[in-house]
Amino acid sequence: MKQITIISGKGGTGKTTLASSFIRLADEHIAVDCDVDAANLHILLSPRVEKKDDFIGGEVAVVDDNCISCGRCEDMCRFGAIKDSTSHIFIDPIMCEGCGVCSEICPADAIELRSEKQGEFYISQTDMCPMVHARLDPGAENSGLLVARIRNIAEDMAVENNKKVIIIDGAPGIGCPVIASLNGVDYALIVTEPTLSGISDFKKAHELTRFFNIEAFACINKADINEKNSALIKDYCHDSGMLLVGEIPYDEQVPKALSKREFITDLPHSRAGEKIVEIWDVLRDRLYPGAGNNST
Amino acid sequence: MSLKNSVWVKDGDRKEWNRLILSVASGKGGTGKTSVAASMAKSLGYCQFIDYDVEAPNAHFFLKPDIKNEEVVKIKQPYFLSGTGADFSRCAEFCHYNAVAYVNGKVVFFPDLCHGCGGCLLVGPQGSVREKDVVVGKVMKGKAEPGIDFLMGELIPGNLRTISIQNKLEGYINRDDTVIIDCPPGTSCPMVAAVKNSDYCILVTEPTPFGLNDLEISLEVLKNLNIPHGVIINRDGIGDNAVEDFCSERDISILEKIPNDLKIAEAYSEGKTMIEIMEQWKERFLRVVEKIEKKAG
Repeated sequence: MKQITIISGKGGTGKTTLASSFIRLADEHIAVDCDVDAANLHILLSPRVEKKDDFIGGEVAVVDDNCISCGRCEDMCRFGAIKDSTSHIFIDPIMCEGCGVCSEICPADAIELRSEKQGEFYISQTDMCPMVHARLDPGAENSGLLVARIRNIAEDMAVENNKKVIIIDGAPGIGCPVIASLNGVDYALIVTEPTLSGISDFKKAHELTRFFNIEAFACINKADINEKNSALIKDYCHDSGMLLVGEIPYDEQVPKALSKREFITDLPHSRAGEKIVEIWDVLRDRLYPGAGNNST
Repeated sequence: MSLKNSVWVKDGDRKEWNRLILSVASGKGGTGKTSVAASMAKSLGYCQFIDYDVEAPNAHFFLKPDIKNEEVVKIKQPYFLSGTGADFSRCAEFCHYNAVAYVNGKVVFFPDLCHGCGGCLLVGPQGSVREKDVVVGKVMKGKAEPGIDFLMGELIPGNLRTISIQNKLEGYINRDDTVIIDCPPGTSCPMVAAVKNSDYCILVTEPTPFGLNDLEISLEVLKNLNIPHGVIINRDGIGDNAVEDFCSERDISILEKIPNDLKIAEAYSEGKTMIEIMEQWKERFLRVVEKIEKKAG
């Protein structure tokens, strides 16, 4: 079984457009949406939820009336989460990282760690394949943990049902959820755009895949918006030995299709859609080794 | 409020505004947060600008600051003196992040998982757990034209400590100035850290089902935090009317609509804001600030 994660560094470069197209074109696969705080894949795949469960995230410190206002916890907290501990103590749940130091050192035993529901995750069926996805509560922490959770479920399902490929839609950035979505995958596809921002974030995402020793491919979306910058990206790929799997032209049909919840690869004359099919052909050779070129 | 910033808009027309902390956020990435934040800063002329998206900072491409100094951001991480035969099992039991394992008398440390809380030092064998500084990123300060105090942070790829860099930035927020905060995408902790100090949050969205979905989640975050907010619709015309309908149903003010224009996208790709190619937008962004002043008081 092979896994590929689609990331970008910069948001809005087309991760979900590509992921949904690949999910449309692939077979014997499972889809996972690892952008758990701003999930979008479900909008296109219209999953029918078959099973859902609560996500119990990390812990947060909670103080009770036994507090003797000694102030020790505030001195020891490295995350600045405890305020006014010598008068009316306040533990900020946003700042608290649930490390447990305050509860360990509290002489009055007044602080305990509590874990709360921080979201939900779902196992669903779509017209193409099973899908595992989640919704982190607005503003919640531990997105990395939730990503790890849903990926484990998808891996178990893939083994059990003899699926060949897991296609993972990643989150923007290079932080916890992205790292969790890359952990142990076979390939990463980095989607970029020919803008100064896109190039800068693309390089950061590539650095991340190198850090975790994951083979990364590049894809330039809206490549014709700035040919000069596209050339810079191509040079970078060449110099760093990264395979550029394709360049997708700017195509006004893409947002229109997405708004109608249509797959861009289904449209008969979409310039972008045609390119995405070509890109998938390149990826398919890697993801289905030994399958030849005649599948689908 | 007596303390005000002001800027010459046209000859003889001086605009003044109250000092507020304005954050520019969005759930979905790539909707135009940085474009809006940078255009607004340039329109105001005099303000503090903080790029809080430390995982993928981009505002410097548009504001082109002259970076005057850099400061590394460090966290403390433990190391274990295992030659002493000390028992580190308590460290492994205590660590809430599973960053320490103790197997067959051997301690294994996973620095990627460590938050640097100092817990293992507290519960471990006296003197056998020590700490060292580990660099997780940096914060950069400088000046941008015409009168912008610019700040940004940068996380080293492979690191989980986004929040450590953001906390460092937070210490530099200047409440005696108008502050514009360019937020990271998403609706989880990095976004919360960026918006939580603001007097008003501008949510930039695009008129597609994706934009709407993520707008709804961001609105919930802002409601929970009690932060007044309004919406700017970017690339108006690319999708449908659902965002506008949603905002009017919920009585959420639409502060401005930016048309879908390839010229703006091309300018963006080269690090130019829209006010550099469409002068009239300077005035329009100042009007947005005026609207916000009235709402945020």
